[in-house]
Amino acid sequence: MIADGFTVEVFQNEFLPAGGAEVNAVVTVTSLADSPATAEQPARQQQPGRAEIIIVDCSRSMASPSAKIAAARAATVAAIDVIRDGVAFALVAGTHRARPVWPPDGSLAVASDQARRDAREAAARLAADGGTAIGQWLRLAHTMFTTHPAALRHAILLTDGKNEHEAAADLDAAIDACEGVFSCDCRGVGTDWEVSELRRISARLLGTVDIVPDPAGLAADFAAMMTTAMGKQLGDVALRVWTPQHAMVKFVKQVAPMVEDLSDRAAPQGAQAGDYPTGAWGPGESRDYHVCVQVSPASIGQEMLAARVSLLAGPEVLGQGLVRAIWTDDEALSTRLNSQVAHYTGQAELAQSIQDGLEARKRGDEEVATASLGRAVALAHESGNEDTARLLAKVVEVVDAPTGTVRLKKAVADADEMALDTRSVKTVRTRK
Amino acid sequence: MTTCQHGHDSADEDFCQVCGIRIDATALVAGSASGSATTAAGAAETCPACGAERTGQFCEACGLDFQTTEPVPSAPKASPAVPSPRRPQPAWAAVVTADREHYERVRAEGSPEAAKIEFPAYCPVRRFPLSGEEMRIGRRSVSRGLAPEIDLTGPPTDPGVSHLHAVLTPEPDGSWALLDPGSSNGTRINGTEIPAGARIPLLHGDQVCIGAWTTMQILLG
Repeated sequence: MIADGFTVEVFQNEFLPAGGAEVNAVVTVTSLADSPATAEQPARQQQPGRAEIIIVDCSRSMASPSAKIAAARAATVAAIDVIRDGVAFALVAGTHRARPVWPPDGSLAVASDQARRDAREAAARLAADGGTAIGQWLRLAHTMFTTHPAALRHAILLTDGKNEHEAAADLDAAIDACEGVFSCDCRGVGTDWEVSELRRISARLLGTVDIVPDPAGLAADFAAMMTTAMGKQLGDVALRVWTPQHAMVKFVKQVAPMVEDLSDRAAPQGAQAGDYPTGAWGPGESRDYHVCVQVSPASIGQEMLAARVSLLAGPEVLGQGLVRAIWTDDEALSTRLNSQVAHYTGQAELAQSIQDGLEARKRGDEEVATASLGRAVALAHESGNEDTARLLAKVVEVVDAPTGTVRLKKAVADADEMALDTRSVKTVRTRK
Repeated sequence: MTTCQHGHDSADEDFCQVCGIRIDATALVAGSASGSATTAAGAAETCPACGAERTGQFCEACGLDFQTTEPVPSAPKASPAVPSPRRPQPAWAAVVTADREHYERVRAEGSPEAAKIEFPAYCPVRRFPLSGEEMRIGRRSVSRGLAPEIDLTGPPTDPGVSHLHAVLTPEPDGSWALLDPGSSNGTRINGTEIPAGARIPLLHGDQVCIGAWTTMQILLG
């Protein structure tokens, strides 16, 4: 179904056996490259527009080695360079507290040649001295964003260490406050930061998380992130899932380009629908969602609408797809697995197996680690997820990929383990 | 307007907008024949409870059952059609959810206890049909021998809800009233703090906010 430049396609086996109650579907949402909703139009540009804040870790550890703070300065400059004219932006230095670096008064500057030049100079003076309290950084960004009416608010957060100078609850509370206010891409440089900490931030704030093991790679990564952010045209898009009376949404997961469980993120819309946040979209973007609904079974031969999945920007419906259920006594129909559903069930299991395996490995449970990572190798092989297979091969010795026979490597570089952990959620698509 | 095999009115012609069942074109009952308030009240109707656009038997926004609810007072009186014999009794229910807006409001008031309470990551929607002589709202306590009819013991548990927080009692007309006997943190109805010990009659769609994040919506139908 096409509406306003978004397509919503549903892939499922709608046939259920007698008494079958679980309906699975993969919903592919694509914004067309020339979509009227996401394309750059003068009318939309005049709207509140966008705001960007770059948050750079300036804790003492960023100075050892000094290449880290130097790379952070260069990366910040690279990101500033791709901020477009007219975009509101600011730099924040994060230590055990947060300090506005540019503009120094904690406001947002409007990007122009002069403003970018001034910001670059300020970035070049970033110095490493202090602790790490990421919640404080997020809170300052929150305050700065809320003074500005921009529709698309995005932050880049860079750290090299653990959140040591505040309680975990402080960080959680800060994330709570920021949810829905801005999106945040997180990057960890080096190997002394905590994957789970940054993942928590990026997941709730609808951003990405990645490791930049070598500081030299930071500038290119920052420029790429900022370029992607500049391409977003429509913010706060929600996936609304309507289900019939007596039905229950079992889960809603984004499954491509990466796995992100949205199940507990629904904002109820009346008694029968919930809105799941999907964040901001740019033209040509495509994502897949796995929706699983439990319905009360009807009799053989009957058909039911198990879910109506709509894409919304504010009150505007951008697209809609129907998830159906038909009860049949023909086993040939009801036992057929939909290839999309099967594929993404596997990709979600792949991500989970990696995370389970790495956790087991950390606590010294070699048996569970070997089994989980072996299962991951088999799944990555089977689904053709070559990037993940390559990352796995740095942590385990693959004896036989199809059966998932592996041996744990004795010496694994921290960077390889963290890269596998952060990128475990990345999925591949199947041909449709 | 069509009717599905389960007797739900549906504005959607393909699938019932209440139960989702495919509507068989040959078995359709013309909606106008039932002469219900839905057709009599005229075009562009809105839900009397929440104001959402009205399509079919149930409000898509708040779930109100239009067939069992009195029409909007200002709307023209329904035609004196024969009332449907299978018209169900209006049933009141309290639907309990974790409400982020309520949570943020409580936090914004800055009490030190509230600041320590986390908004639950997951909270199932709990529906309590209202019946009997009284419905106590609270958290069960073995030591006090207290088992409220509307037991909000979790997980997740809202620590701001008292063991005996409030009581719902039926009114002569079948609707319900709420009384807060003096809970520690009080009760708000539609955003207004109610005095302890007062009986407040409830209307369909009223939002009762208690504790740090618990909101109870009172619904008819």
